[in-house]
Amino acid sequence: MTDQMVVGAAPAAPTGPADDREADARRTARFRRWRRNALLALGWVAIYLVWEFGSWWFGSRLLPRPHEVFASAVEIVESGNFVTDFSASVLKTFAGFGVAAAVGAPIGYLMGRYNYWRAFFHDGVTIAGTIPAIVYAVMSLIVFGLSNFGPILAVALVSAPYVALNVAEGIRGVDRQLITMSEAFGRTPAQIRRQVLIPTIVPFVFAAIRMCFAVAWKVEALTEVFGGRNGVGFQIRTEYQLYDISAVLAWTVLFIAFMLVIERLVLAKAEARLLSWRPEERGAAL
Amino acid sequence: MTTMQRSAVTKRRSTTEIEQSTPEWQKRLTSETAARVTALLAFVVIWVVMSWLFSRVPGPVEVGERLVDEFSRGEVFGNFGMTLYRFFIGVGLATVVGIAVGVVMGLSQLSRAFLESPVLVGLSIPAIIWSFLTVMWFGFGDMSPIITTFLTAVPFVVINVAQGVRGVSRDLRDMSETYNVPFGRRVRHLVLPAVTGYVAAGVRFAIIMGWNGVLLAEWFGGGGGVGYRARFWYDANRYGGFAAWVVLFVGFIVILDRFVLDRAIQRSFRWRDSR
Repeated sequence: MTDQMVVGAAPAAPTGPADDREADARRTARFRRWRRNALLALGWVAIYLVWEFGSWWFGSRLLPRPHEVFASAVEIVESGNFVTDFSASVLKTFAGFGVAAAVGAPIGYLMGRYNYWRAFFHDGVTIAGTIPAIVYAVMSLIVFGLSNFGPILAVALVSAPYVALNVAEGIRGVDRQLITMSEAFGRTPAQIRRQVLIPTIVPFVFAAIRMCFAVAWKVEALTEVFGGRNGVGFQIRTEYQLYDISAVLAWTVLFIAFMLVIERLVLAKAEARLLSWRPEERGAAL
Repeated sequence: MTTMQRSAVTKRRSTTEIEQSTPEWQKRLTSETAARVTALLAFVVIWVVMSWLFSRVPGPVEVGERLVDEFSRGEVFGNFGMTLYRFFIGVGLATVVGIAVGVVMGLSQLSRAFLESPVLVGLSIPAIIWSFLTVMWFGFGDMSPIITTFLTAVPFVVINVAQGVRGVSRDLRDMSETYNVPFGRRVRHLVLPAVTGYVAAGVRFAIIMGWNGVLLAEWFGGGGGVGYRARFWYDANRYGGFAAWVVLFVGFIVILDRFVLDRAIQRSFRWRDSR
């Protein structure tokens, strides 16, 4: 509501000289930025308070207090298990993405390009997209047993439908006129594919990967909880079986923080780099 | 260069020419219905091949037998009903709360700044952690699946609705501001119709997440339900039983999606689609 009031007030302002107005505007901007940051901080304070209240309500054995979780997080980081388990989990997630992109992108290409293949894949892909992650997790364990392939397969199964649907959407959105023009100028289908279609779908593949990254690492951890031999999920299960809830939460918090960092920094950077040839993307991504 | 061009140009035919020259059987073979049937057949073939390759993957016949077995034991309807009850309460609550919070978050920048981090945290907490915690908090009853479903689903509704509300036409919002339209009427007549699509997308996502949550909580909670029954077979190393429940469950989800959700979404778009 407030932004509307500011918008409404703006035309009434120009009374004093230009410098005054500029100073006014700057002051307002500073005030609003300050207020925004204060509210952001307030949001974190609210989370903290809710957590404290919860651990008071349930008792700190069932929901450890924030500082206890923080202490065990520090312990985990100091012990050094942290690095091996995290890198194992992250590697498995990205391997799963690799498989998903390798399988999902061609399917999406076919779906977007030909009506026959769209009808062929459409039902399967949409159904695969609605199946809950736990089903994939257990299914990959049944197929591969206790090995590193289980989590990779689970991530791939969860992500591939998104990649396929997004790529299909992207292919269908390709400028028809560009293709017609390329055909009119006698370009071969291979050239059209390489120079027109693939550059157009790269952003869609990336959008799909970023979209399902948030889901994928959870599925990866879930599969490890059910049957992994290393990784964050494995640690979470071990601690849960020992009823060390603060360690469970500490692993979770560390993992969430780590994954958010990867999502924000690594993926966003990679996307900005790969798409820097598109002028409008350059501004938006950075 | 020029030869290539010439050959490419001379070879081409118009679409109608191509259409007329293809024989009838080929057209039928490449029709969309044929594609669907082929996809189904391919799926079954892949399944059978997988069950040959991996000894632990149950084949279609075994799964069918288990399914009949489970029906004859009378385990299906009770457990299914239990899961549905928990799921619908959880997702219903998530929808109502999510729309309310999302509208508030979309309408005012202040509340957006405040709610941003809680929603981000809520989005990133895995369902499995919620199910671990709620099972400890509330025991093995209905409560833990309901709460898990609610908590995993609600951030998705909030974020989608907030996105939609932010996209509501600025002009209309300013106009209703100018004419002093009361807040309740503004929400009902301007905001809610405009965000229906976003609400639908959010609810769809919430449903996917909610199924996952309810199944996980039942898997670890053990108070009956689909998840509990699937775990029973999984722990007994009878993967056929597990696969039978997956088939039942996925079939149900697909039917729900096609016949209930799609209809409801179409219905809620009547104001836009009908002339």
